[in-house]
Amino acid sequence: MTWNYSKKTTELFMAAVSGKPGTHLGEIEDADGFGEHGSIACGDALRFTFRVDRHATDPRQDRIIEARYLTFGCTSAIAASEALCCIIEEGDFTPIDALRITNQDIVKYLDGLPQAKIHCSVMGAEALEAAVFNWAQKRGVDLAELGIDIRHDEQEEGRLVCTCFGLTEPYILRKIEELKLTSIADITNSIKAGGACMSCHHTPGGLQDLLDKVNGSRPTTLKQLPVLPMARAPRAQPPTEMSPFKFAKKVEEVIDSYVRPQLANDAGDIEIVDIKDTKVYCTMKGACANCVGSQSTIKMLVEQALKDQIDQRIQVIEV
Amino acid sequence: MKIIYMDNNATTRVAPEVFAALEPFLTDDYFNPSSLYEPAHGPADAITAARKTVARLLGNARPAEILFTSCATESNNTAVFGTIAANPDRRHIITTGVEHPAIFSVGEDLQRRGIDVDFIPVDGDGRIDRVEFVRALRADTLMVSVMHANNETGVIFPVEELSRITKETDESIIFHTDATQTVGKLPIDLRGSFKHVDLLSFSGHKLHAPKGIGALFIRRGTRCRPFLLGGHQEDGRRAGTENVAFIVGLARALELAMERHDEDEPRILAMRDRLEKELTARIPYLEVNGRNAPRLSNTLNVACHFIEGEGILYQLSAEGICASSGSACTSGSLEPSHVLRAMHIPFSAIHGSVRFSLSRYNTEAEVDRVIEVFPGIVDSLRRLSPYWDAKKNEPRPEAMEMLTRAEMP
Repeated sequence: MTWNYSKKTTELFMAAVSGKPGTHLGEIEDADGFGEHGSIACGDALRFTFRVDRHATDPRQDRIIEARYLTFGCTSAIAASEALCCIIEEGDFTPIDALRITNQDIVKYLDGLPQAKIHCSVMGAEALEAAVFNWAQKRGVDLAELGIDIRHDEQEEGRLVCTCFGLTEPYILRKIEELKLTSIADITNSIKAGGACMSCHHTPGGLQDLLDKVNGSRPTTLKQLPVLPMARAPRAQPPTEMSPFKFAKKVEEVIDSYVRPQLANDAGDIEIVDIKDTKVYCTMKGACANCVGSQSTIKMLVEQALKDQIDQRIQVIEV
Repeated sequence: MKIIYMDNNATTRVAPEVFAALEPFLTDDYFNPSSLYEPAHGPADAITAARKTVARLLGNARPAEILFTSCATESNNTAVFGTIAANPDRRHIITTGVEHPAIFSVGEDLQRRGIDVDFIPVDGDGRIDRVEFVRALRADTLMVSVMHANNETGVIFPVEELSRITKETDESIIFHTDATQTVGKLPIDLRGSFKHVDLLSFSGHKLHAPKGIGALFIRRGTRCRPFLLGGHQEDGRRAGTENVAFIVGLARALELAMERHDEDEPRILAMRDRLEKELTARIPYLEVNGRNAPRLSNTLNVACHFIEGEGILYQLSAEGICASSGSACTSGSLEPSHVLRAMHIPFSAIHGSVRFSLSRYNTEAEVDRVIEVFPGIVDSLRRLSPYWDAKKNEPRPEAMEMLTRAEMP
């Protein structure tokens, strides 16, 4: 795997590690805002601190004058941390204004990040948010009163969904909403959830269910399938009376129009290998090929769809 | 900038002697060795000679026991799938948790196909758990596949022992070893200490032959079906027109490795040991992975606590130094190397692993350069790390606890 970082990313990284003046390496002692995100076990972690110019009477008008970070992580994680501090110091923000900085701003500042490294920018935005909440507590600013949800400790609460990276349901739900994530691949790229053992993808209450909860339900591989147009209608012609050619065509049609688009959402695909009588032999391709749940996908999605739309006797066999 | 290449477990440069030997078969002697006309005899004879050479250098094996393939991955796949195809009555395979993906992924795939596969664990130094190994042997065990030396850590497995245990338990269990990292480096005597090994895989490009050539030793009488079907080449055991030039190159590279072994080996070992000694002396909180196990003399795998390997490689690369890492950010998935995880490397260090692997073409000056540069790189990343106290140059107190916790969560 070669590096495909933007020039900006590599410049910020090299400047940071060489300790060039003007970079933001370090930790402010007695900081006004302190936030952390990630852990060493997960492969990256960021500690973000800032200092404000305190307003005499109204803490809401404090202005951030200095931002620092310490980061454990890869090239892009370090560059993203540096970018975050640059954005803040260049922008003359109040802490409340700073909450509007998103991971996309960090990506933009870096002239883009490889898809698989988007989570590095999310880590920056998370740590910033945590630091602002910390500042609000210290300065006695009631963020809830300003219409800002205080949710910074939800990480510790709620059901654990991704056990590999220790991410909970409320956190993943919020991120799906905020970052407009639409597929499991999106979630993994942005917040790493589901990126290691992958067992949380399609379990009940897993990532797919959370996506559905936010984005509206959609037929999934493990849930009850919606009633399809032709489902369970009495067959005009059982397949034994259908010519093998016609039957094969029909199977192909259902797979193309209904099964493939769903598998494509998870970067997977399916190939029909052979059809003998009512037995359909398939291979799973792409992400589905390595998926631990491929057997259930075959049974619950592929076989059920073919049964509903063509004939109840169909048996799908994974090859 | 001059490149310092220390990633020889990934691939090696083609030796000039090897290139000289193979070149004529790319130009003047291009004929298909299966053809009948006179000019094709040259290539056909060259293959016969190469096969004899390879067989002889692996401990006087029979030439007919050597099969040329396209790479070690093909050799491994042929060994496993061919054995399964030829022995349908047995459904259990034993391998280790630290195999190269060319066996590890095959094992995982076999599990999905309904074959029982046991992955034997290793200890903290990467040594195989022999008790687990013996316990795993069953009445219906078809095959055992254990690598000769690990590509990431260089840890050497006792293949002689394990194959003997296997055969003493049950003569009909087929024993395979992936010797990709060891052929030309460690003695392999297929008539002597390796006499219980039925199948042995390796490739050319780890010993200064080109990429795209491998070999599989199949002991006479071993039931193993071909993987590639088609022509009659390799006695029908591996169809496909022979890669004459690279076959000649492989034989020459092996010959060269054997000729130069007594001179190269101590020199490489001395360089590796010096690199290891100097780096551990200069860098606090540096683990040498597999330190207490027998290791290949060319491999040094270190783990730097509290930093991430990708940033290290990136900076090494900026200095023209080529090495590799088992960190999550370099693996393409979000998990660090399965080898280091199997060894239960402390999770504060597992992301900071770097592998240096040397060859006869490395020099003392290059080792000096790495010794000069590497501590600074580690230091620059630690200064950025939230787990490191830059002023005291030691881990922060709260991070100290991590050092004692031995397992990834």
